[in-house]
Parts: sequence; structure tokens; C-alpha cells
Amino acid sequence: MSTIHPMQTGAAARTKNKNKPNPLGKQKVIDYMDIKFLNRFTNDQGRILPRRITGVSAYQQRRIALAIKYARHLALMPFVAQDIS
Amino acid sequence: MAERRRYETTLIINAALEDQEIDAVISKVTKYIEDNGGEVENVKNMGRRRLAYPINKKYNGCYVHIQFLASSEFQTIYNKFLILEDTILRHLNLDLPDALIDYRKQRDLEAGKATAEKAEEKSE
Repeated sequence: MSTIHPMQTGAAARTKNKNKPNPLGKQKVIDYMDIKFLNRFTNDQGRILPRRITGVSAYQQRRIALAIKYARHLALMPFVAQDIS
Repeated sequence: MAERRRYETTLIINAALEDQEIDAVISKVTKYIEDNGGEVENVKNMGRRRLAYPINKKYNGCYVHIQFLASSEFQTIYNKFLILEDTILRHLNLDLPDALIDYRKQRDLEAGKATAEKAEEKSE
């Protein structure tokens, strides 16, 4: 909510705006069979969203990315979503 | 005696087969694990579902999840065995940590509770 001074640039400006809580909390386990859960971390093209948008910790992001790749291998999730109209 | 670890395998079996043939494939895999000193703990047939993309020009697959104990030396020959099996379209063989078992159990419990509550609402 705090306003950024026009002269303020770089890390300070970025951190000031960040007040979004981690959506997963301290959850450590990610299940690659849980498609509904993993779909939250991909866009409608089927691409993995970056951490600055998902807002999870670095450890969780690595696990999520790995789980999505396992799910793609098992054809539970698409590599590329085809039917975008 | 080699140390045994807990593993999980997810198979995609050709859905064009009959139910009995699919059961035959599952029993063949579990028998192979047990013949090589493994111990099958749990087999779950999740049924047929549509694949997210075609594999070998097939659009549907039957998913089967197997949980077992085996030595690490077994994994190499086991993966080769699964590749050579024609009826299996894809497989994924992973080390299964205890945390993931607990997580799945808890999630299933919560899902069960949610459905039970829904059923209660309907009955009321």
C-alpha cells in the first residue's frame, strides 16, 4: 500500500510493493498425481509460471516444476495446450 | 542382503485391451517384482482416462499405480522390463518418500470428509 518515491529504483522499490503471502505456506511435499493443484502453477498454454507470479518459496518452486514435468511425462498434463480458441 | 527401499511405479497401459488383459499385465508386473526379491505393498487401478497428448497414436490409457519395496540394483532391470513390454505405453518409476505417503493419506481423508459432508447436506 505504501507509495514508491519516483526516485526510488531497484530492489528497494520492488520489495516495498511485495506484501503477498506465500500461497502454500510451509508445505514441503508436492504430489505429481494431483493435477488440479499443479494446474494453478501453469498458464492456459501449459507453461510453468515463474516464481515472481506464483509467490512460492524457491524450494517449493523447484519441487512444483519437477512435479509438472513428471505429470507431463505421464500425459496427465499437456506439454503444449492445443485447443486455445 | 541389499537394503530395500520403497518405490512407486505409475504405468499407462493400452486402453484398447479388455479388462482381463489389463489385469493380466498388472499381475505380470507384480509377479516380476516379487520374483526379483521385491515386495508389493499396494496396487491401485485408476481406470481409463484420456491422455493429455497422444502416445504412439493412442488417445486413451489405463493408469495403474504400484507401491513396492525393492533393492536399488533391481531398478535397472525393472526399467528395461517395463520398456520391453508392448502393452505399456509409458511408465514412471520413482523413490517414494514417507512424507508423500502421509500427504496423500491426509488429502484422501480430507476429500472423504468433504464428500461425507456433501452427502449429509443432501440427506438433510
